[in-house]
Amino acid sequence: MKVLVQEGKCQGHARCLAEGPDVYELDELGYNSTNVEDVPPHLADQARRGALACPEQALTVVEDS
Amino acid sequence: MTALENNRPDGAPVVEFDLSTHNRMADSNAAWAELRATNPVAWSDDNGGAWIVSTYELVSAAFRNWESFRSARDVRTIPGAGGSPNFMPINAIPVETTSLMIPEELDPPLWRPYRRVFADLLRPRAVEELAPRIKYWVTKYLDDVIETGECDIVSTLTSGVPGAVVLEWLGFPEEEWHRLGEAFHNAASFVPGSDTGQHYMDELEWTFERIREEVTAVRESPRDDVTSRLANIEIDGERTSYEFATGMVNMAMSGGVDTTTSVASAAFVHLHYNLEDRRRLIEEPELIDRAIEEFLRVYPPARTHGRTVVEDTELGGCLLRKDDRLIISEVSACHDEAAFPDADKFVIDRFPNRHVAFGMGIHRCPGSHLARAMFKEMLTQVLERIPDYRVVEDELEEYPHWVALGGWRRMPITFTPGTRRL
Repeated sequence: MKVLVQEGKCQGHARCLAEGPDVYELDELGYNSTNVEDVPPHLADQARRGALACPEQALTVVEDS
Repeated sequence: MTALENNRPDGAPVVEFDLSTHNRMADSNAAWAELRATNPVAWSDDNGGAWIVSTYELVSAAFRNWESFRSARDVRTIPGAGGSPNFMPINAIPVETTSLMIPEELDPPLWRPYRRVFADLLRPRAVEELAPRIKYWVTKYLDDVIETGECDIVSTLTSGVPGAVVLEWLGFPEEEWHRLGEAFHNAASFVPGSDTGQHYMDELEWTFERIREEVTAVRESPRDDVTSRLANIEIDGERTSYEFATGMVNMAMSGGVDTTTSVASAAFVHLHYNLEDRRRLIEEPELIDRAIEEFLRVYPPARTHGRTVVEDTELGGCLLRKDDRLIISEVSACHDEAAFPDADKFVIDRFPNRHVAFGMGIHRCPGSHLARAMFKEMLTQVLERIPDYRVVEDELEEYPHWVALGGWRRMPITFTPGTRRL
């Protein structure tokens, strides 16, 4: 599983971090600017919830096919 | 300075919607619900004429579209207002002269470096470092009343704590915190035209004077505090102007002091009338983070914000013309059934909860993480230390208007006395 950050959409609400503290990292100004390339299976739920919580809908979860 | 032309656009849905008549939260919410159901975007001639945007979808779109809807201050006058200048900043309806707020009243590219400073100061990690101070002030202010069994929880806690945390962070002297906090609280909640109104505006003017004095002092000799950092920030190798320096300190103070107050007070009213929700939060404290988001959704402190149309722009099937004003409603978006199932219900563990309480887009409240941290500590300690508090209903007093900011003026409570912690 991957999580893609759509460029320019994150506004630093940090709801991804609140729901997925072990998946998401914020940059030095508190914005999410990095794709998560490989989410370990045991953190998949955190990743999905973090993406779902984003008010700007900046995160796209790509499930393994 | 030119007059704001109150020309109603051809073919636009027109409504009567005077926000200044919203005197109670319930009435304001009902008015928004009716407008939202009938006209997602509509023109109102009230308050100089403006478009009103009320659905979640369009409120989000408008907030995100800074290219089309600018935040910069608009200095046109309102016809019929006696020709006196009525500045129109981000406020939803015209107000008398208010002090500039930076970066909220800036648009990119000028906005960017000023926003960076606030983002850096208030990012989640930086707020974690303030946690011991937040805990200290909540503990101390509850200690001050806990043996008596009664207090006004607004002045004691919901107004007092954000005041102490923010003003300590800014580096203002402790003996002034109460007066500064009260000034913002009263300015947000006085009855227009009342005898006390002028006194409250004088007090607010005093806070601006104090900001100017402190900025002057720390530009001369910087201290180790946030006022010094804001006042001396360098943009492209040059120190920012005195005007922008005071604008940033004003932003931090007015954004920080009476906003968290509003939602925390709302939560304590809610938990007075909804004892089942109180019981669940006490028995299942792990629910608190979700509950905080739901309190923010149902009781957003900032009710509306204003913008000005940059170029003709279509929104929700209406053509918004260059220089038209628009009012964007956070509270209406937060209560939109299309975005939140059972929107009228407080659902303690609602998820997802993509509310608009802190706005959206580039001007998203940079203090949101600090607000959540202060709110959580107040809620946690009240439920731990005075879990049986009851509001004295006859003496509960709402703000007399729910235009840009809502809240409670005072909320006397009684409780079983407890013991001090410090």
